[in-house]
Amino acid sequence: MPTRNTSPAVRPEESGRAVEGGTKRERARHGAARRRGRSERFAPYVLIAPAVLIIVALRLYPLALGVNFSFTGDGDANGTAVGLANYLELLDDPLFQTALANVGLLVLLLPVAVAIPGLLATFIYLKVPGHRFFRSVYFFPAVLSPVIVGAIFNLMLSFDGPLNELLGTIGLGPVDWLGDPGVAKFAVVGVQIWATFGMALVVFLAGFATLDASLLDAARVDGASLRQSIWHVIIPSLSQTIQFVFVTTMIGMLTSMFGLLYVMTSGGPEGSTYLPEYYIWIQQGQMNRPALASAASTVLFLIMLVVGLLQISVLRRAGRED
Amino acid sequence: MRRVAKWVVAVPMAILALATIYPLIFTANVAMKTRREYVLDRFSLTESLHWENIATAWNSVGMARYFANSLFVVAASVFLLLWLGSMAGFALSRLPFRGSKALFIGCLAALFIPFQVIMVPLSRVMADTGLIDTYPGLILAYVAQFLPFTVFLMTSYYRSVPREIVDAARIDGNTVYGVYRRIMVPIGRPALLSVGILDALFCWNDVLIALLMMPSADHRTLMVGVTSLRGQYTDNIPTFASGVLIAAVPVLLVYLFLQRQIADGVTAGSTKG
Repeated sequence: MPTRNTSPAVRPEESGRAVEGGTKRERARHGAARRRGRSERFAPYVLIAPAVLIIVALRLYPLALGVNFSFTGDGDANGTAVGLANYLELLDDPLFQTALANVGLLVLLLPVAVAIPGLLATFIYLKVPGHRFFRSVYFFPAVLSPVIVGAIFNLMLSFDGPLNELLGTIGLGPVDWLGDPGVAKFAVVGVQIWATFGMALVVFLAGFATLDASLLDAARVDGASLRQSIWHVIIPSLSQTIQFVFVTTMIGMLTSMFGLLYVMTSGGPEGSTYLPEYYIWIQQGQMNRPALASAASTVLFLIMLVVGLLQISVLRRAGRED
Repeated sequence: MRRVAKWVVAVPMAILALATIYPLIFTANVAMKTRREYVLDRFSLTESLHWENIATAWNSVGMARYFANSLFVVAASVFLLLWLGSMAGFALSRLPFRGSKALFIGCLAALFIPFQVIMVPLSRVMADTGLIDTYPGLILAYVAQFLPFTVFLMTSYYRSVPREIVDAARIDGNTVYGVYRRIMVPIGRPALLSVGILDALFCWNDVLIALLMMPSADHRTLMVGVTSLRGQYTDNIPTFASGVLIAAVPVLLVYLFLQRQIADGVTAGSTKG
């Protein structure tokens, strides 16, 4: 019986140590807690201070500074107040007008850019053959830089490039994809949709994961067609996801096409592919007109605010009718 | 959907998948061709792999230098983002303090300021502080750009950590900083990985911020380097394609191994927001 012999011999010693140590530790803990109470009251502020400092100094302060800039002059008039002169100049500038018109075009194309990934996500959710493979392939371009996407499509869409050669074999074209002012903006938007539909697709699939599958089953038992199921079950259940995709796709179109424009068209031909972000870049970087660029920035900010709020309210109303 | 209908839908979806992937295969194929091969027939599979195109792009075009620049800037930015972001997320989610709600809302608001809107004044601030065209300047610009997103996701992740764990660690005699280091960092690993990959992709893929903050040629990041290829190699498409390939391969590797984490990060905002 070695276990019985050893255990009583050890236990008192252990417990004795534990009691003694416990009181010491407790006393130490009280002392530490009192000290900690003072020094640690500020701990949350210490933890958050670096993040707050950086965000305030390099995001919020520049926003205020930029709005302020936009009411001052450029060049000789640097720093002096000029009222709304920059904004009036913007409205008169044909390049900025084109940029705004192109924003309008993007807003019109937005439903397409949301519907395509929505429909594809529906099919993937319904487990079309190869759905896992499709999901992986469709999502990949979304993680590539617009610069790489733009460079690849520079090759694909050049006048003597592969796409025109392909069209030639079936007796079409050639089309000057990036050189024709009427075509280039659609080519660039098409590439943007090619590059980003996978992002929206993944968001839709996350929405589908929260969808109550029994609703769809019930609809099918009642003899609903796929179109009826999408219209009466999927869209109402996913209204929040759809709203999110609308807003993020619009923000993406307004703020992440710079790389594409810079590589594919440089705003050309004849300024036809200008967007506000490209206009800001040109005025700041090439034309040395920071105040004018700031005014354009402020306009872009307002556009994004209005578009975002408008979409949310429109979608809310549409949701209520259902 | 009936079985037949699913197969009917799968056909256009397969064609779309091909259209999604073909431009990349085309570029990789071209990168392995000689100029002569490309001019004669751009579609044919390359007869042998001409790795010397890659070597040319890597060495004489300077992609090696740009690659190293990008790697350094991205690593430093992501480290700082995760460090500062997880500290702030811990404080905002699990430490009651005055002004915590206001700070969280301010952080959310900063999330909706696009870079284009502040790029003019920001470059003025960077120039005034002597940070323009320096690595710390570019790293700070990236940290500022992606910190609101990082703080937001870390905060919502830490909200799912039971309060009892934090309380128990405090009773065991840990300071707040000890709780952060011993509990919150290890527990936050899945979120840190997911957010870190996304932050890394954002920084790696960016061109606008790098163009603005790093004007001199030897400070170029890889993406800026790719844009400069365009002008230099208009008549040498295989070298151009090689440069593009060099810039795309790291992203492809990350995607192949960490696709799920990327998708998790992307969708975290949609389900919690």
